Amino acid sequence: MEGWLAPTELAGGFLQFLILGLVIGSLYALIALGYTMVYGIIELINFAHGDLFMLGAFFALGLAIWPMGVTTAEAPLPALVATVALMLLLTPLFCAIVNVSVDRVVYRPLRNSPKLTVIVSAIGVSFIFMNIGLLWRGATPVKFPDLISDANLLEGTGLRFTWKDLMVVAVTVPTMIALTLFVRYTRLGKAMRATAQNPVAAQLMGINVNRVIAVTFAIGGALAGVASVIYGLYIKAVDYQMGFQNGLYAFTAAVLGGVGNIPGAVLGGLTIGVVGELAKAYLGAKWSEAVIFGILIVVLLFRPTGLLGARTREKV
Amino acid sequence: MTAAVPSAASAELSPGVPQPATGDATSPATASPLLLVEDLEAGYGPINVLHRLSLTVYPGEIVAIIGANGAGKTTTLLAISGIVPARAGRIVFQGRDLTAEGIPPHEIVRLGLAHAPEGRKIFPRLTVRENLDMGAFTRNDPDGIAADLEKVFTLFPILRQRQQQPGGLLSGGEQQMLAIARALMARPKLLLLDEPSLGLAPQIVVHIFQVIRELNRQGVSVLLVEQNARMALKNAHRGYVLETGRITLSGTGQQLLHDPRVRAAYLGE
Ligand SMILES: Nc1ncnc2c1ncn2[C@@H]1O[C@H](COP(=O)(O)OP(=O)(O)OP(=O)(O)O)[C@@H](O)[C@H]1O
Ligand SMILES: [Mg+2]
Repeated sequence: MEGWLAPTELAGGFLQFLILGLVIGSLYALIALGYTMVYGIIELINFAHGDLFMLGAFFALGLAIWPMGVTTAEAPLPALVATVALMLLLTPLFCAIVNVSVDRVVYRPLRNSPKLTVIVSAIGVSFIFMNIGLLWRGATPVKFPDLISDANLLEGTGLRFTWKDLMVVAVTVPTMIALTLFVRYTRLGKAMRATAQNPVAAQLMGINVNRVIAVTFAIGGALAGVASVIYGLYIKAVDYQMGFQNGLYAFTAAVLGGVGNIPGAVLGGLTIGVVGELAKAYLGAKWSEAVIFGILIVVLLFRPTGLLGARTREKV
Repeated sequence: MTAAVPSAASAELSPGVPQPATGDATSPATASPLLLVEDLEAGYGPINVLHRLSLTVYPGEIVAIIGANGAGKTTTLLAISGIVPARAGRIVFQGRDLTAEGIPPHEIVRLGLAHAPEGRKIFPRLTVRENLDMGAFTRNDPDGIAADLEKVFTLFPILRQRQQQPGGLLSGGEQQMLAIARALMARPKLLLLDEPSLGLAPQIVVHIFQVIRELNRQGVSVLLVEQNARMALKNAHRGYVLETGRITLSGTGQQLLHDPRVRAAYLGE
């Protein structure tokens, strides 16, 4: 993620890194939500989630090239808009279907098995996904079509905020707001929270717990799909291992915010984005990971349940 | 009153005719059972907890199960709700064989059977109101739900005041009220209550049992499990004594209250 910007040339300094960190962070937040929602409901750390994100990016890449052959930002505007819209529509759908299928085929039969069994299966699915990615697009990074302009929207202010940055914000913020409203106010959203808090009691209320879990996987998958499209458009290169590092960061974000906690995942993602960019800018790229995980350790020392996690995990 | 040798455990003296302790006797003498449990076996892992357990609840009845810790009372209710699978025997609710048809727990609720489980198990981070909404999850008659909400607020006024508070912040007694209210929101025909008086102050226990009888007057049948045997038998039309997974005694509430074995073992006399 380095190289497309030379921060030292910019006058904005701290503010600039903050903006960049928030943009990157909202991407982590989208992925982190998929970890946190699945963990919240079945206490599974879904190691395959990052690799699902990678498969989503590969799928989106196909969409850019195949239906209209739109590969540069110079293409006519309607074609650009249609291509991006198609990606944002079909990629989440693809990821949702894949995620729900994996739950149905792999995790659901293990619902009453020891947790370790399920986690090992998730690691297995992660490897399977990665190998599918390898077969699909090969081992070398693939260029992702550069569809969105790099023109600076804050020209003259000394700050840099491009159409690409705007795209990230314009997609992630409404997505997170919609998710929050869904979980808080809809019948199904309440059923998800109830199931996460007490699956047996949820069944006694007439909630079909397996269906609620499937919906959770669908939503988590769709969010990874959205994130993968944005990542592709923003970073302009994808490869079969991209799920690992980004997944790790996003998982860290989920833990930092309090795993199982939806606003926590968003806060964790933004924190990691900002801290990572600031560390990169002021300490050098090689320090950013050390700083991120250092902060994670410090936070967990003082707040073992994460920034927003419930202080005690009630087992009622 | 049936003297119970474990092997002849299914004999009953007064089968099926509720003798309402409340006096307003509209006894449905001809009715078929609302709930029929026959030769039920259920347990955990390799261990069977229930051994050929049989019981019935007729429409309009309050039926109590009393027994020592670990006797299998909770397991019985969980098996009826479908949470603990039945290994043998059958459970028939309103003429539907839940076991043979393999009806999952969330469908059983829809048939009109609500369960306020042991330890309340309210949703701690949902508000009181949201907990009640979850109780009505199977329904989509907004007017009926609103009316029932009003009804449970009348039964338990404290819940109205606490509507916006997370369930986990209620006191134990308030949580018990919420657990019962939540089960009522399903508008059940049969209400399963697991230790509704556990850990509550005596006045609250009295209040809870008043509510149970009031609900019963309104037509809800109740199957109730209690440590507080005196309170349960006083308020129940009929009762069963459960010992290590077997029904060893059964009879009307009054009969059991005056049975010397019950008095010695469960009433501390
Ligand atoms: N989840 C479980 N796994 C294994 N064994 C269990 C489980 N739940 C209960 N048991 C065992 O089943 C037996 C009956 O338990 P149950 O909870 O039905 O008793 P109970 O009559 O409700 O007791 P109490 O009055 O203490 O609530 C006990 O021996 C208990 O140890
Ligand atoms: Mg019990």
